[in-house]
Amino acid sequence: MSLTNDIWSPIAASGDLPFRHVFHGQLLGQEFAAWRADDGHVNVWENRCLHRGVRLSIGLNDGRELVCQYHGWRYANRTAGCTYIPAHPADAPARTITNRTYPVVERYGLIWTTLGEERGPPARPELDSGDLLTLREMAANAPAAMAVAALRRHGDDGGQEGDGLSVTLTTPEGTRAAFFVQPVDSGRCVIRGVLAGDRSPDSIATLRLHNERLKALRDVIEAEALAAPAPEPLAPVYAPVSAELAEMPGLLKAGRRASLSVAVSRKWAAGADVAGFELAAVSGGLPTFQPGGHIDVHLPNGLIRPYSLVNAPGETGSYVIGVKRDPASRGGSQTLHETVREGDLLAISEPRNNFPLRRDANLTIFIAGGVGVTPLIAMAQALDHSGSAIAFHCFARDEAHIAFADRLGALKSRFTPHLGLDPVETEARLRTLLGQRPVGAHVYLCGPTPMLETARRVAAEAGWPEAAVHFEYFKNERAVDAGSSFEIALARSALTLTVPAGRTILEVLRDNGVDLPSSCEQGACGTCEATVLEGEPDHQDVYLSDAEKREGRRIMTCVSRARSARITLDV
Amino acid sequence: MIALHDYELSAECYKVRLMLGLLGLKWRVVPVDYYPGAEHKTPAFRTLSPLGRIPVLEDDGFTLHEPHAILIYLAGRYDTSDHWSPREPRLAAEVAQWLSFAVDLDASAGAARRADGFFEAVDADAARAEAHRLFRILDEHLWFGERQGRGWLCPAERPTIAEIACFPAVALSEEGGVSRQDYPAIRRWMDRVKRVPGFSVMSGVFPAAPGR
Repeated sequence: MSLTNDIWSPIAASGDLPFRHVFHGQLLGQEFAAWRADDGHVNVWENRCLHRGVRLSIGLNDGRELVCQYHGWRYANRTAGCTYIPAHPADAPARTITNRTYPVVERYGLIWTTLGEERGPPARPELDSGDLLTLREMAANAPAAMAVAALRRHGDDGGQEGDGLSVTLTTPEGTRAAFFVQPVDSGRCVIRGVLAGDRSPDSIATLRLHNERLKALRDVIEAEALAAPAPEPLAPVYAPVSAELAEMPGLLKAGRRASLSVAVSRKWAAGADVAGFELAAVSGGLPTFQPGGHIDVHLPNGLIRPYSLVNAPGETGSYVIGVKRDPASRGGSQTLHETVREGDLLAISEPRNNFPLRRDANLTIFIAGGVGVTPLIAMAQALDHSGSAIAFHCFARDEAHIAFADRLGALKSRFTPHLGLDPVETEARLRTLLGQRPVGAHVYLCGPTPMLETARRVAAEAGWPEAAVHFEYFKNERAVDAGSSFEIALARSALTLTVPAGRTILEVLRDNGVDLPSSCEQGACGTCEATVLEGEPDHQDVYLSDAEKREGRRIMTCVSRARSARITLDV
Repeated sequence: MIALHDYELSAECYKVRLMLGLLGLKWRVVPVDYYPGAEHKTPAFRTLSPLGRIPVLEDDGFTLHEPHAILIYLAGRYDTSDHWSPREPRLAAEVAQWLSFAVDLDASAGAARRADGFFEAVDADAARAEAHRLFRILDEHLWFGERQGRGWLCPAERPTIAEIACFPAVALSEEGGVSRQDYPAIRRWMDRVKRVPGFSVMSGVFPAAPGR
């Protein structure tokens, strides 16, 4: 028997992962935090928080995310990506903060994993009949080989193939039994037994009988192990973050990149004029998203459009977006509505989050106009799930125009629709909603430009500090003046370039081999932001708040320019 | 008002704090300098607790100095639902049986923690070995309980003072070098105890996520 990392072994019984529990497991010296999310997905992760190394097995399983006990870092179901860091409430965690996950198969009433290849546990045809009885596991302070040898003394008719960690025999009562020995460490193991086709009327008596037998066997092998020299414990391997996550994206002239291929697994009418799309990974999983995040969809006709993710926390199996049919469509929403069908493949970018959600407000008010519900639904679901106080206000023409009404309905009394209001009535209603700022409240706004402008003005007049008013525009409807010409000095790249009238900073950067990520390219989404080291920006975007614009430390390179003859960027 | 002669890091005092919280009672803390001052060994303290041990509870001029006696008293006097310390003879006897088991837990897992944390002069390795022997018994009892629809130590619908007596030494065992990794049924029982309304934590004991 060779204990290589390629073996597949059970590390828990299915019943060891009850509702909202975190199981503490181990295989070949490597510790795991194993937990079942409310959607049934079983997560087996390296047992340490990426922050301070505290065991995640003492963490909190909230059904969608695992929360570290120490400083509250949250990790998403399935992806193990960090979605929130309480000490940095206004920031979106970097995508590199992703815990190590292990492949999982749930079979024969056991949870199987491996430190090696994803080929799956060995098939046991004799256990495929169903009707299985999982015995109580028996942990022993003895090497796995001693347990296997002791089990074989009771017979083994399963042949010697496989990894030598299992024994199949017929019990004295005539029942077929399979025993799997889990090598916890070099000197510790767990024996996990499964009875096939046990039809005895009293399963408790059967379980007790085998429990007594396994205890006797444990006593034998523990005595044997005590007499032998203790083997060196196996050293756990803390693998560095995967190359895919660790590497800085290469410099390309390609501009906006579609790194993911997804299939439209569902398309439906999510509301009047709004098509819902569920996008599933073609192979492997999808990267972690955060509430407020968006993806760029690269359409077959070459257009690129950003769409907010509607997903609730832990809803990590597919991405959900809502697309409003725009009568003035230049081919983006129209293509998605009319041409793209279920089963079609789309190229999308990784999710980005330029609209991060604080989770430390005493009350979070969401105000959505039309399809502006999409990022706010993702946020509201996250806060509502953790029991934070929220109020969700949706302005729409009529009930049919409320998109994703099922998700909003789940917010129950926290959801209030405001239907059929004209601009004057809308402003009056916004004054009611924002007239007085409750202590510690934050407001998140998303909707058409006139409504956002009104809401921001109303909030400012009512004394809301700018830092408590968060917003995302669909698009930048301000006229962009690209008439100026100026110099950009790139502090990191040691280049000085000239931006002529009619061209953007972003275009000039890319022409010279310096790439920045971008998405909407009209000053609405915040993706192409750069830090200003010197000089005076000429802000033309709708992403930064007025205070941020006055500060002059950040610039949206897709539309904004310079008032000074020269501007120095941290690029 | 109830007064508790209390030391924040004492597992035995935690039993009483748990019970008081679960019963929704208010109390006044009289701090005892257990470590390093060894105030519990002073002649003055021995007038309250002749064996020189904490906790000590005072209520209406009545003084008690053993944690399990205090649990029995508090449940008997203040638990109007009678579930914490049941009177039915068999159930009451089973509760008493687990109170004895809890004494053994305090003398093994608890002693290892006191050796590591407060330098108490005990054979810590022997204490750890005994703790593992007891944890095996406890895990088996709880595992079969789950299969028979019994979530608590005793065959009752609701938790009893047996839970409170056993919980602290188990929940703090890792501070004495006794891992609970091999005892999944104990870990699930700990989640259930932590979800009882009124449960309180102490340093080294973490809350569980809310259940159903």
